[in-house]
Amino acid sequence: MALTFDLDRAWRVDPRVSLRPEPFGALLYHFGTRRLSFLKNQTVLAVVRSLDGHPSARAACLACGVTEAELPVYARALAALASSNMISERTPHDTRA
Amino acid sequence: MAEVPTTALPTTGHEAETDALASDELLVEEVSIDGMCGVY
Repeated sequence: MALTFDLDRAWRVDPRVSLRPEPFGALLYHFGTRRLSFLKNQTVLAVVRSLDGHPSARAACLACGVTEAELPVYARALAALASSNMISERTPHDTRA
Repeated sequence: MAEVPTTALPTTGHEAETDALASDELLVEEVSIDGMCGVY
């Protein structure tokens, strides 16, 4: 199943998600869906945590040191998080929880 | 019994993470805990 993700939109961690950093990366738990997600490295954790501080997911990735060559891998990761509602698109009316 | 020396875990630098990435690498793994015993 191919996951598509728009890197050029603004995203944020869903307010119903609890994020717990771990040595391997992080655990995300969605209180609404009861799903767990594991982030497998510190860089993808940094990207996810910084999403709401950047105008786009691409900007967040680049700010966290992701190279252009690595962007597809991180886009797939973000797509997986979006498909499980761990992250959602940010609108101008969203306020940080 | 001789003790097995413990080694410190290597620091996870960005370079190390970069080297480990492959084109089909999945950085996110998902689990559903519905139905798991003992989970509230």
